[in-house]
Amino acid sequence: MPDQHIVSSFDRDLEGIQAHIMKMGGLVEAAIVDASQALRDQDEELSAEVIKRDQAIDALDSLINEECANLIALRAPAALDLRVVLSVMKISSNLERIGDYAKNLAKRNAVLVHMTPIEGARGALQRMAREVQLMLKDVLDAFIMRDMDKAQEVLERDRDVDQMYNALFREFITFMMEDPRHITPCMHLHFIAKNTERMGDHVTSVAEQVIYLVSGNMPDENRPKATRLEAE
Amino acid sequence: MYDAPILGDAVNQKTTKISARDVQVYYGDTHAIKDVNVDIDAKTVTAFIGPSGCGKSTFLRCINRMNDTIDVCRVVGDIKIDNEDIYDKRVDPVQLRAKVGMVFQKPNPFPKSIYDNIAYGPRIHGLANSKADLDVIVEKSLRRGAIWDEVKDRLDAPGTGLSGGQQQRLCIARAVATEPEVLLMDEPCSALDPIATAQVEELIDELRNQFSVVIVTHSMQQAARVSQKTAFFHLGNLVEYGDTSQIFTNPQDERTQNYITGRIG
Amino acid sequence: MTDVSPTSSLLTVDDRTRRRNAAEKRFRVYGVIAIVLAMLALAGLMTSILSNGLSAFKQTFVTLEIYLDPAKLDKDGSRDLDKIRKVSTFGYAPLIKNSLQTQMDSPGMAVEGLKAKDAAKMVSKEAAAEMRRFVLNNPDMIGETVSFKFLTSGRIDGYYKGRVTMESAERDSNISPEQLMFADKLKDAGLLKTSFNWGFLTRADASENRPEAAGLGVAILGSLYMMGVVLFLTLPIGVAASIYLEEFAPRNWFTDIVEVNISNLAAVPSIVFGILGLAIFINFAGLPQSAPIVGGLVLTLMTLPTIIISTRASLKAVPPSIRDAALGVGASKMQAVFHHVLPLAAPGILTGTIIGLAQALGETAPLLLIGMVAFVREFPGAPPEGLFDPAAALPVQVYNWTQRADPAFAERASGAIIVLLVFLLFMNAIAIILRRRFERRW
Repeated sequence: MPDQHIVSSFDRDLEGIQAHIMKMGGLVEAAIVDASQALRDQDEELSAEVIKRDQAIDALDSLINEECANLIALRAPAALDLRVVLSVMKISSNLERIGDYAKNLAKRNAVLVHMTPIEGARGALQRMAREVQLMLKDVLDAFIMRDMDKAQEVLERDRDVDQMYNALFREFITFMMEDPRHITPCMHLHFIAKNTERMGDHVTSVAEQVIYLVSGNMPDENRPKATRLEAE
Repeated sequence: MYDAPILGDAVNQKTTKISARDVQVYYGDTHAIKDVNVDIDAKTVTAFIGPSGCGKSTFLRCINRMNDTIDVCRVVGDIKIDNEDIYDKRVDPVQLRAKVGMVFQKPNPFPKSIYDNIAYGPRIHGLANSKADLDVIVEKSLRRGAIWDEVKDRLDAPGTGLSGGQQQRLCIARAVATEPEVLLMDEPCSALDPIATAQVEELIDELRNQFSVVIVTHSMQQAARVSQKTAFFHLGNLVEYGDTSQIFTNPQDERTQNYITGRIG
Repeated sequence: MTDVSPTSSLLTVDDRTRRRNAAEKRFRVYGVIAIVLAMLALAGLMTSILSNGLSAFKQTFVTLEIYLDPAKLDKDGSRDLDKIRKVSTFGYAPLIKNSLQTQMDSPGMAVEGLKAKDAAKMVSKEAAAEMRRFVLNNPDMIGETVSFKFLTSGRIDGYYKGRVTMESAERDSNISPEQLMFADKLKDAGLLKTSFNWGFLTRADASENRPEAAGLGVAILGSLYMMGVVLFLTLPIGVAASIYLEEFAPRNWFTDIVEVNISNLAAVPSIVFGILGLAIFINFAGLPQSAPIVGGLVLTLMTLPTIIISTRASLKAVPPSIRDAALGVGASKMQAVFHHVLPLAAPGILTGTIIGLAQALGETAPLLLIGMVAFVREFPGAPPEGLFDPAAALPVQVYNWTQRADPAFAERASGAIIVLLVFLLFMNAIAIILRRRFERRW
């Protein structure tokens, strides 16, 4: 934004909610990284910490909602400002959901620690989480830079995550068919994969908000997700 | 361009009521309005917004030739109402003003009774043949002005004794009494408190069923609330004209963006 | 952080504030002094005029029983009006003398050294003329004894107003102490009385020798005629000119010149208008001198600029929103002006007009030049023909009387000033009432 509002406190309020989003994004990224690391290392302690830290994300979400409500009521934002507020509210709830999935990951970790490890799954899951975390980082950069191309790129990268999920899905089915004792850990691992895939969807939703924020228009609906439907 | 999915607007196809082509207005040596082209729809509220001195009021006053009363003012270009050029030599501005009513910034009832305020226009235009006719017109106009219930028991009281909001609605009633087709409003709520403003805005929304309303306003929120179309003027230029919802969520021009978001631009 | 010094306390007044307060106080004192001076001047003026002039409204009258002697008035007894008319006022003088002789003969009334001939001088010279008028109107009263209420002479009147004393009478050829003594006796007998003098307001001017008979009648009527002419001409012309200039005229160099000249005309000394009137109306147009029509025309010229300026001011004071409102509902310019602007400006226009009229009423100089200063005994006829008859005007009458030798005229002049002031007050009161009545808020 090259130029400023005549009322400078309006600028400060707008910057404030966006700073909250960035902070929240940082917390969510950390939650994803730590949860996947805890999964790989079977680290119960780290899992517990991830679960605990989700409270901070939830608190930030409600803080952002409150500040957005105030901003709408007091400043009556229009055009670009209105889009900033609207996208901040949506992104905030997306991030909050991603945080919840990370927490869910960590909870399942705690159960998986006591089960037979499944060969190779953990590495794949961690790569998937890593990809989602990178997407999230990029989309937040795109948000703060108002970079529509980058957001579009993130949107397309969701396909990779979907493909990873599909691959894992088939792998888990094979494992379960091999040995019924693998069913319980595989179900847990599948849910972890599914949740990670959902995180990716939320990241794409954030990317869509970035595109709306910058252009004023929502992106086209035909985003790459057909492969997933085929798999199910 | 992205079309906001507004229900209703897409259904009834609007016809153009006023069409301006290459309108220029000069005040002496000052070029106040530059190349304005706009098509204003019938039975629609069109809002003109823009910073002070941007020419929106000047353009509004061109539509009923109120600028004729200013000696140094010169209008070039075509303004057509129902495809008739209102600046044609054969057009008598007095007749035009009966067809294009106007409501002003400050409520300005005549210092006469409420009844006479409404009856004045119909009287001078010979719209009523008898006292009974006139009574009917007065009641109908006051009802259209959404003020009948408040004044029906005191039609003989002076119009200047009403509250500001009532006075403004009286002025609107006076403007509709001559059965105009277009209603021009020059910042009609700038002298009113929020309650009176809301009442007038509600009234404007009702008037849309019968008249083409053009409203100049300094309040962007008001433009957003009452209008279906919005035109943004800046330094004598018509910068952007489009659906109000589009102008207020996704303006195409940076100047519009800066103005409606309150930025230094 | 600025240091908080003790001077920043609100409880102590700093030097600057003290100086400012002192300046304000001084200014108020100047104002009060100015007003007091003005009030004193006004009070002095009013006291002087009232103390000199109020007595003009009182006059000493003597009531006499007159025997209308047929031997004097109608020698052949034919009661023929033409013959009676031949008897001049000199023929009536003896009747008064006889009546006074009768009075002096009654017990206790005689004054040593006073002859009836001298006593008759105590009665105004107007008395004989008054009797003659009565007889000519009622010829059948000849031979009867009629009670007349005559004006006393100016000196006797002055005696009861303190202007003439026994000492001054000794040195005065027009009056003697004996006459004064006789007057006192008449007064004791209830024949001589001082009462309200309607004649002052109704009579015409009188000659140098009979101040007691001089009245303002012709002057008041002349002034009223002139005001009528002024009102009749200035209101339509002034209002029409103002409306045109204010509402219709294009703004260009020509109207600018007209405007500047109207303002200039308002500042032109009134005597210039007198010269103009003399040249145009009398010498060129051949209108009669001393006529109210000419006076009215001259005063019209003088008043027009004032009225145009005040009318334009009140037209300007009508908010433009009213004009917009009228034009907005499709009224033509003319309708907007006549239906809305003019009624709102009316109180201002009327006040301006009345104040202009009041100014014209008090104007003397231009009237002197067009001959309104002439001595006029005859009342002008009814308008419109009467407008061409010679008449006087109130301020000119004042000027006239102050020029005369007899001190009784000085009293009359002050009285005339009071009448003039009453007229002016009356007109201003009307102006205020009109303003109150029609003024509306918009």
